[in-house]
Amino acid sequence: METIILQKGRDLKLKGAALKQIISLASAARIAIRLADFRGLKPKLDVQENDVIKVGSPILSDKNNPTIKIVSPVSGKVIAIVRGEKRVLLQIIIESDRRQETLGLHKFSVEEIKKMARHDAIQQLLDGGMWPAIRQRPFSRLANPSDHPKSIFVQGMNSEPLAPDFDFLLQGQEGLFQAGLEVLRRLTDGEVHLCISDKATSPALTQSQNVRIHRFAGPHPTGNVSTHIHFIDPIKKGDIVWYISAPDVLRGAALFLNGSYSGERVVALTGEGADNRVYVKTLVGSSIHDVMGGKLKGDMRYISGSVFNGTNAGQNGFLGFYDSQITVIPEGGERHFLGWLTPGWKAYSFSKTFLSSFFPEKEISLDTDAKGSERAIVLNDSYDRYVALDILTFFLIRAIYSGDIEEAEKLGILECDEEDFALCSFADPSKLDIGGIIRQGLDEIEREG
Amino acid sequence: MNLLEKSLHKLSPLFETGKPLAKFYPVYEALDSFLLTTGKVTKKGPHVRDAVDLKRVMMLVVIALIPAILMGIYNTGYQILLAKGQAIHNAQIWWLGLEKVLPIILVSYVAGGFWEVIFAVSRRHEINEGFLVTGILYALTLPPTIPLWQVAVGISFGVVFGKEIFGGTGMNIFNPALVARAFVFFAYPASMSGSVVWVAVDGFTRATPLAVLKEVGRGGDPIAALANQGYHVANLFNGFIPGSIGETSVWACLMGLAFLLITRVASWRIVAGCFLGLLGMSTVFYLLRGPNTFGIYALPPHWHIALGGFAFGAVFMATDPVSGSATNVGRWIYGILIGVLTVLIRDINPAYPEGVMLAILLMNIFAPLIDYFVLQAHIKQRNKKLTPAGAVPIKANSKS
Repeated sequence: METIILQKGRDLKLKGAALKQIISLASAARIAIRLADFRGLKPKLDVQENDVIKVGSPILSDKNNPTIKIVSPVSGKVIAIVRGEKRVLLQIIIESDRRQETLGLHKFSVEEIKKMARHDAIQQLLDGGMWPAIRQRPFSRLANPSDHPKSIFVQGMNSEPLAPDFDFLLQGQEGLFQAGLEVLRRLTDGEVHLCISDKATSPALTQSQNVRIHRFAGPHPTGNVSTHIHFIDPIKKGDIVWYISAPDVLRGAALFLNGSYSGERVVALTGEGADNRVYVKTLVGSSIHDVMGGKLKGDMRYISGSVFNGTNAGQNGFLGFYDSQITVIPEGGERHFLGWLTPGWKAYSFSKTFLSSFFPEKEISLDTDAKGSERAIVLNDSYDRYVALDILTFFLIRAIYSGDIEEAEKLGILECDEEDFALCSFADPSKLDIGGIIRQGLDEIEREG
Repeated sequence: MNLLEKSLHKLSPLFETGKPLAKFYPVYEALDSFLLTTGKVTKKGPHVRDAVDLKRVMMLVVIALIPAILMGIYNTGYQILLAKGQAIHNAQIWWLGLEKVLPIILVSYVAGGFWEVIFAVSRRHEINEGFLVTGILYALTLPPTIPLWQVAVGISFGVVFGKEIFGGTGMNIFNPALVARAFVFFAYPASMSGSVVWVAVDGFTRATPLAVLKEVGRGGDPIAALANQGYHVANLFNGFIPGSIGETSVWACLMGLAFLLITRVASWRIVAGCFLGLLGMSTVFYLLRGPNTFGIYALPPHWHIALGGFAFGAVFMATDPVSGSATNVGRWIYGILIGVLTVLIRDINPAYPEGVMLAILLMNIFAPLIDYFVLQAHIKQRNKKLTPAGAVPIKANSKS
């Protein structure tokens, strides 16, 4: 087993890691299904307000591909269907009756899974509501069950700031995890690649069977799916690769072994604004209020996911479908006199333009201050040292700006996702949203087919 | 502090859309964000941001220029006293120097700033901090004797035709400060070009080192000719000679370079390329020297570093990331060619004694071409990696 060591990238060592200890929440009172989580889904509502539903009841389906369903992780009642401008569906909020009555499906043993036909395995995932856990590259959208991916990647590590430790989450889950991998094996004629940290020790990750295990080391983005694909089985035009995160493999396995949808999610509570920094066992889509134990503070930002790629959920928000982390950091917004002139003992920067850059702190504290406003790109050499892929970021941005899709494809945009550029946006002196620009290019390519 | 914040806050409604001063919002924004950090918060990921912004970067470039500015002021005063044959008195040197240099810097900032504001207002974008650098860079390339109206005309041309007509900061092909300098160089050769230079005393002229070298006959001894006019390698490096305000002292430029490299604001590849190119090309000429070659051929390579505005140009002008190459390989090629061209213009072109300004402007034109070739090579190598044996690659430059 080789270890791939990243030379480029950087770790952001924030204060507020979660203690390695899992506590169970009594049970979530409210959960939501957030439409923004499911890229590529054209939603068709399958429920109305006040409908009574069970665990596994379909809430939404995809207009383009009606077999893809998003299901409820709780039993209870639909209490709100939230729409935004032009009646765009935003989220469906469900109140739990705490009984967790389930919609039963067929059960399979591990031996049966190993002998299943591809079609039957896909059918079980679709019927049970676990299909959306599988996404595809390029475009990071929901996978299409009628596609044949050249390989499947299991993200067995996460290198974002204060990220949940997948090695810890999979401790003692060997059986379940292996069953999940067997399901994935049924879905492709190519390889299933399991990408794990070089520090991983849990047997679930290190001793899995029938998959190719790869170890990754080095700084963030060493845990990103794009990084793994880039170094192991890179994407060219026309290729399709599927990917899934290790915690979701466990949920997928549970669907086969128990015959019912598992909405279980272990979430790391992180960030200097979180008081009780531990791992919490809860449900997919739980409300931030419930997960934080009801103790919310006004001057904090509650992020579902990491500070890099998470969404600003807000105090009344909910956990995202794919997120295993909540980060709480203070809101910024204080103004300082002649800020650009200070020697910068306290400023934090990847650049060497502040005195503090020469005396690195062990753990840093950051609020949500944007530290400047948007400008044109001037320092065009500041991007590449933070992108692990073989991408010339400045030229890719330029191609997207000028609408030259063909050039963008040649420069490798199909290998990218916006999350791969979070470090660039973080460090950009021009304060641009580089990931957003990349996403704009990807959307354009998707539209044109 | 609070008072300042409050009074700025009171002013802000005047600049809102629909209000009489709405057009001048960029001016308000510039003042507001100059005095206080913006206090804006992120809206989406990344939710936290690095402390560096363009204001900071540009400020560091200005700080890197401080040795050259101080040296320029001191040397201007020193040369005046020297020409007048008066006793050298430190306080007087600073005073005489300031009297000449400060108006030039102020006129450059005011005239250039005027156009910045006009374009920011008419195009509704923020005033860019890059002008803090352009304005001072341009002033430092001028002789202290230049009439102030020429300073104003030059920087106006530089800002408008060197930058704004290309779409503003980040879009310009040429370094705007150099465009301004080139404009006055060609428009007002009497006060700019360099067979005789500029001591800020009426009627006093003295040949520049490069002009001296032009006059050295075939097979002549350049070092002796320079020594004859009072130029030695030491005073050429130290900069106590007449010349453009900020360009005479190599040490001042190297101090600025050290600062720019430590703070990683300038690309070390470009600067290293410039010096390598210059030394390499002048070594070639040095080896070719003979009884029938121009006298300048026989100048030892390290003298070239000290001549003219090379050090200033290589450190502060060639490293402008917008008008230079934007790939790492490209930066090397770009830098090396600037050095090579500088020597070529100095050694075999009889028309222009100073080469670095023209070399950089010429390479500004070629930078996109260099990047194009580097990019094609990058795409080719990407395709190779992505293509399993037997498959058909995407052609690097096909328009399918």
